Amino acid sequence: MGDTQTLAPRPPQPVKMVVSGGFGVGKTTAIASVSEIEPLTTEAAITEVAAGVDDLSMTPRKTTTTVAMDFGCLTLDPTLKLYIFGTPGQDRFGFMWKDVTQGALGALVVVDSRRLDDCFPVVDYFERDGLPFAIAVNAFDGVLTHSLPAIRSALDVAAEVPVVAFDARSGVSVRESLIVVLEHALARARGY
Amino acid sequence: MTQPGHGGQEPAEQVSAVRPFLLTEGRVLGEEASLPMETQLVATPDALQMVGQLAFERRAILEACRVPLSLAELAARLGLHLNVVRVLVGDLHNRNLLTVHIPRPGGSDLDVLQRVINGLRAIHTSPGSNDG
Repeated sequence: MGDTQTLAPRPPQPVKMVVSGGFGVGKTTAIASVSEIEPLTTEAAITEVAAGVDDLSMTPRKTTTTVAMDFGCLTLDPTLKLYIFGTPGQDRFGFMWKDVTQGALGALVVVDSRRLDDCFPVVDYFERDGLPFAIAVNAFDGVLTHSLPAIRSALDVAAEVPVVAFDARSGVSVRESLIVVLEHALARARGY
Repeated sequence: MTQPGHGGQEPAEQVSAVRPFLLTEGRVLGEEASLPMETQLVATPDALQMVGQLAFERRAILEACRVPLSLAELAARLGLHLNVVRVLVGDLHNRNLLTVHIPRPGGSDLDVLQRVINGLRAIHTSPGSNDG
C-alpha cells in the first residue's frame, strides 16, 4: 500500500505572518483585506498556565480559557501559501502568542495612534522573542492623529524597526505593509 | 520541503476529566501539542476506504482533508477547539489515515522570504486583484 501514498495531493509549503495589536485596532479588517477566503475564526485557547510552557499534557488542574482568533490565507503560487493570523494584543492573552508566532516570518503590529499603549505588550513580546516586526499605524478615516516620527519616539522601538502608516481596509495598503515586514526580516536575516 | 509525518512518535496516553476532551476519549495532548497551526493535512488513500467506519468528528476531518487543509482551517470549519483537533489529527495520523506535513520554520530562510515578497508584489500588479 506504500506507494499509493504518492496519490495524495501534495500540499503547498505553508508560511505564516502575524497581525497583532490592541482590541478594535483593525486586525480583522486588515486580514479580511488581503485574505482569499472569508477570515475564519478558530478557538485557540489553551490554559492560562500555559504561558511559556510547551507541554500541555498536565491539563487537568488548570483553567481553560477560550479565545477566538481570526485568520486568513493567500495562495502565492501553487507551492506556497501564506497564512495570516490575528492575535489579541492584550497581555492576558500572552499565553497564546507563542503558539501563533513560532515559525512565523514576521509580524505586523497594528496601532491606533490615539491609543498607542495598547500595543506595548506585543511590541515587548516580539522584541524579546526576536520575531521581526513592523509598526503599522492605522489611519482611521485617512487621518493620523500624530506624525510617524512622534509615534516612533513614543513607542521607543529600535531604529531599524519600520514604522508605516496604512489603511486596514485597503488590500494594496496591507500587502505593502506585509512587504515592509518581510523586507525588514530579509535585511535582518542577511545581517543588515 | 515538508516532512511527511511518519516519525513514529507515540503520543502520551493520559486520562483527563476535562470536558472538551470527551471527543478525544479522554486523551489530551502529547506530541501533537507542537503541531503548528499552518500544518498541512491530507487524507491518505487508505482513509477514503475507512471513512464510513469512523465516528463523526474523525470522519469529518478525513472528508475535509481530501484536499490539503491547514490545522487552523480544519478547526475553524469543524467548529472545534484547536487542541481537540490536534489530538484527533494525532490519532488519525497514527492509524495511517492522515498525512501530516509539518512546515519548516521559514523565518531565516532568505529564499522563502523573497518568494513571499515576490508573491505579494505580483498580486499588487495583477489587474484582477481585489481591493476592499
